[in-house]
Amino acid sequence: MTRDAALVEGKTLCKRFGGIVAVDAVEFAVQDGDLIGLIGPNGSGKTTLVNLLTGHLAPDSGHAFLRGRRMTGLPASDFAAQGVGRTFQLTQLFRRMTVLENMLVPGLTRPGSTRGAVERRARTYLTFLNLAHLEHLSAKNLSGGQQKLLELGRALMLEPAILFLDEPFAGVHPHLRDEIITRIQELHTAGRTFVVVDHDMESILRIARRLVVMARGRKIADGPPAQVRADQGVLTAYAGV
Amino acid sequence: MRGLHVYVVLALAVFILASGNRLNEYVMHVAIIAMFYAMMAASWSLLSGYAGLFSLGHMAFASLGGYTSALLVQWSGVPVPVGMAAAVVLTALGGGAIGWVCLRMSGPYLAIFTLALSEILRIGLSTESQVTAGMAGLHTTPLFHSRSDLPYYYTAFAMLVASLAIMGGIVHSRWGLFFRAIREDEQAAAASGVDVVRFKITAFAVASSFAGLAGAFYAHYIGILTPSLGSLDLMGLVVAMTIIGGLESIPAAVGGAAGVETLQEVLRSYAQWRLVLFGVILLVVMRFARNGLLAPLWHQLVCVKVGGLPRLGRHVPQEESRL
Repeated sequence: MTRDAALVEGKTLCKRFGGIVAVDAVEFAVQDGDLIGLIGPNGSGKTTLVNLLTGHLAPDSGHAFLRGRRMTGLPASDFAAQGVGRTFQLTQLFRRMTVLENMLVPGLTRPGSTRGAVERRARTYLTFLNLAHLEHLSAKNLSGGQQKLLELGRALMLEPAILFLDEPFAGVHPHLRDEIITRIQELHTAGRTFVVVDHDMESILRIARRLVVMARGRKIADGPPAQVRADQGVLTAYAGV
Repeated sequence: MRGLHVYVVLALAVFILASGNRLNEYVMHVAIIAMFYAMMAASWSLLSGYAGLFSLGHMAFASLGGYTSALLVQWSGVPVPVGMAAAVVLTALGGGAIGWVCLRMSGPYLAIFTLALSEILRIGLSTESQVTAGMAGLHTTPLFHSRSDLPYYYTAFAMLVASLAIMGGIVHSRWGLFFRAIREDEQAAAASGVDVVRFKITAFAVASSFAGLAGAFYAHYIGILTPSLGSLDLMGLVVAMTIIGGLESIPAAVGGAAGVETLQEVLRSYAQWRLVLFGVILLVVMRFARNGLLAPLWHQLVCVKVGGLPRLGRHVPQEESRL
């Protein structure tokens, strides 16, 4: 571990899929306590960047670091074990397992964990996320918004140092979207670090302390929301203005 | 209060133990073979039902275990149980190696890969007749020098109980949870911290070792071992037993093995037509009862507490669950 190192850092990350450059030499650093909104048009490389920073994809060049430790080439489970939690653009739950079992899986991967303690912690998070009454239901039977909340809860069971949320508001009823926003804000206040990827500018602007904008695989802006919103390059690339 | 399933299993165990010396030779043989298939179906359920690794090479591991033990006993003169232990170790290592090779495969690719591997082994065993006696069959050392099959009957039962206890322990432990998580979504399992590579290899190694044990027992019971033990026909039978019972429930798979083996004997006079019947049953089960015929029954037994009512309150209706 390097002193003063960023919590998560990507250095000159590149990823190609065939002839398409999905992520092009992107520098991206997240400090402890950040709440970053990662935005950009479709196909701008946001999810690929998240995949590179969580071990779900290996970069073609460049490196991912976690508190100064090089993580490139390690499997996603090692990233998770080191405190990198994530959710997916299209919700990926263990559909035929119960809500409680979904929560137990990450909890029980932690060394020294006991079933009783993990179950208690899972129920605490389920209560926090308003899902406690559904714990014996199969995950596939939850509504879309509840599935997003469960995925967030499952990531929280890792007690992660950082959480990457990939489109947490997509296809979610406004009422549940507000609930997700409230939970993110509460968790952030409690000291969690977030990177939230979404198209929903209104929601992102409600929570983000810092905005990072991507377009065509490149990072085109990075700064406080007010400054980024006024950036002409961003307006051109993102909103087509 | 315990679930009714505990009492049903205990009653069945007592019945099997008590009826041993009352069975005639034929029924006892059928029971021993049924217990062999029960071990195969249970371990295949662990691999395919729980871990989602649809291997068609499971009978090949039984064959490998059988030949390993038989040849080791024949060549080195070690006691049969030592040969059987060696078979377990070798099939566990072989299973782990196949698991590692198949890491990136799933579904039909994995099925075809393991089927090809199984055929390679079967043809290899047939061809190397100087070592394996090929299709003429390898004469094996019996596990017991007894006129009656009774010691085999009790040994098969003890092995089945021990195997089921171990497999039951696995599926109810965190390993079982991780196996199911991998089956449901590998990427999400990895994001949850599950070491997918390690657990896929473990699932293959564990399931293969039980197949190896069953195969080794079979070799020393039946007395003559042919490569057809690893044939696709017998693999198909294990698949049918497991799916008809219930792919994602080890007790249901065991019930399926017992039921199909019994049915095979009852319908013996129909020769090949009984296989057609199994095919039809399999199709009907896959179309109308994807959890198998026995898994829902087993689930009910688990839910019913003796002296109480089913725990219906545990299931929240879907409509009520939505906000």
